[in-house]
Amino acid sequence: MGEVIVITSGKGGVGKTTTTANIGAGLAARGYKVVMVDADIGLRNLDVVLGLENRIVFDLVDVTSGNCRLRQALIKDKRLEGLHLLPAAQTKDKTAVSPEQMKALCEELKKEFDYVIIDCPAGIEQGFKNAIAGADKAVVVTTPEVAAVRDADRIIGLLEAAELREPKLIINRIRPKMVRQGDMMSIEDIIDILAIDLLGVIPEDEMIVITTNRGEPVVLNQNSRSGQAYRNITARLLGEEVPFMNLEEEPGLWGRLRKIIGLK
Amino acid sequence: MTFSKAGVKNNGLLGILRGFPPDQEGLVDENTILVQRTLRSGQSIQYNGNVVILGDVNPGSEVVATGNVIVMGALRGVVHAGAAGDESAVVIAFKLQPTQLRIANHITRPPDDEKDWVNQPEVARIKDGVVTIEAIQSWGERQGKVN
Repeated sequence: MGEVIVITSGKGGVGKTTTTANIGAGLAARGYKVVMVDADIGLRNLDVVLGLENRIVFDLVDVTSGNCRLRQALIKDKRLEGLHLLPAAQTKDKTAVSPEQMKALCEELKKEFDYVIIDCPAGIEQGFKNAIAGADKAVVVTTPEVAAVRDADRIIGLLEAAELREPKLIINRIRPKMVRQGDMMSIEDIIDILAIDLLGVIPEDEMIVITTNRGEPVVLNQNSRSGQAYRNITARLLGEEVPFMNLEEEPGLWGRLRKIIGLK
Repeated sequence: MTFSKAGVKNNGLLGILRGFPPDQEGLVDENTILVQRTLRSGQSIQYNGNVVILGDVNPGSEVVATGNVIVMGALRGVVHAGAAGDESAVVIAFKLQPTQLRIANHITRPPDDEKDWVNQPEVARIKDGVVTIEAIQSWGERQGKVN
């Protein structure tokens, strides 16, 4: 019996879809059978981020409304064996699915897959309620911004009310230099407010933009820092103890020079 | 899509009067809608007949027609012509760059490494059981070829 994990945040644009794609790909790369479900009906993106948009024939709404069988709507990833996508409908809206239907769908998927990763839409309305209906665990994504942390706090409250206990936190797009200068909230500041377990921290990285535009998850890129961060998160989800990576950028030639002459 | 015999004749005549080449007579049909806007992501047109779009079809939008689909612009979304099973249906676009192209029960998508698109009007139709895409030739050009 598999496990259903919902990736949520409240605020939009903090990296739910990117995180879903990378955790999904990360788990599949470790040999697990994974399905990612895009619950963002009407504003689907997960298919684009994975480069699978042109393979969609049936979608989540077709499955819940009985237009097709579940198997027909599942899209196999082009790179990773064991990775599947259940795309959202684009021409419908959130009311096309009910929480009960999502719950039934998750139960069905759990029978076949080790992990079911649900990409939750932004907001706290119907789409959010659908996305969390069948979840066993929740991961909250936030960025070091006051507004994103405020929304994450609201979401954690709603998750607890829905009896999704002990959500885990991912802090995305952190810039160590800005934190050092006191211009950005630090990891400690955020945990101080949200008071939940930290699953991982992802540094701001241009590779995220490059890989998502290309339709390939950064977790498969061995040379990027964000890819390493996602591999660590994957390992922690699997229950492994992984130390948090050192976020400080390697000082370049200029940085080392400055250190030598004592500017730093 | 079913034509009455008289209908075909009328359409044929009309087609000739309007200057349609004989082999495109089938495209002339009373049951056609004209969409005078660009279809954006999430928008969908479903029609029992032909669809002509004066605008683009953006990624994330879809056009489903039981007849032919003609896009006077860039076709970048999902298109399904002959949706009720008509294998003679065609898809025509000034820029044919669909996410996915379906005719009757055939489904095709561009190859994953497709980078350079042809920047001229093209037509997609089923030939010998496979979806083929070729440049549109005007009637005059074709006549020239024959001679």
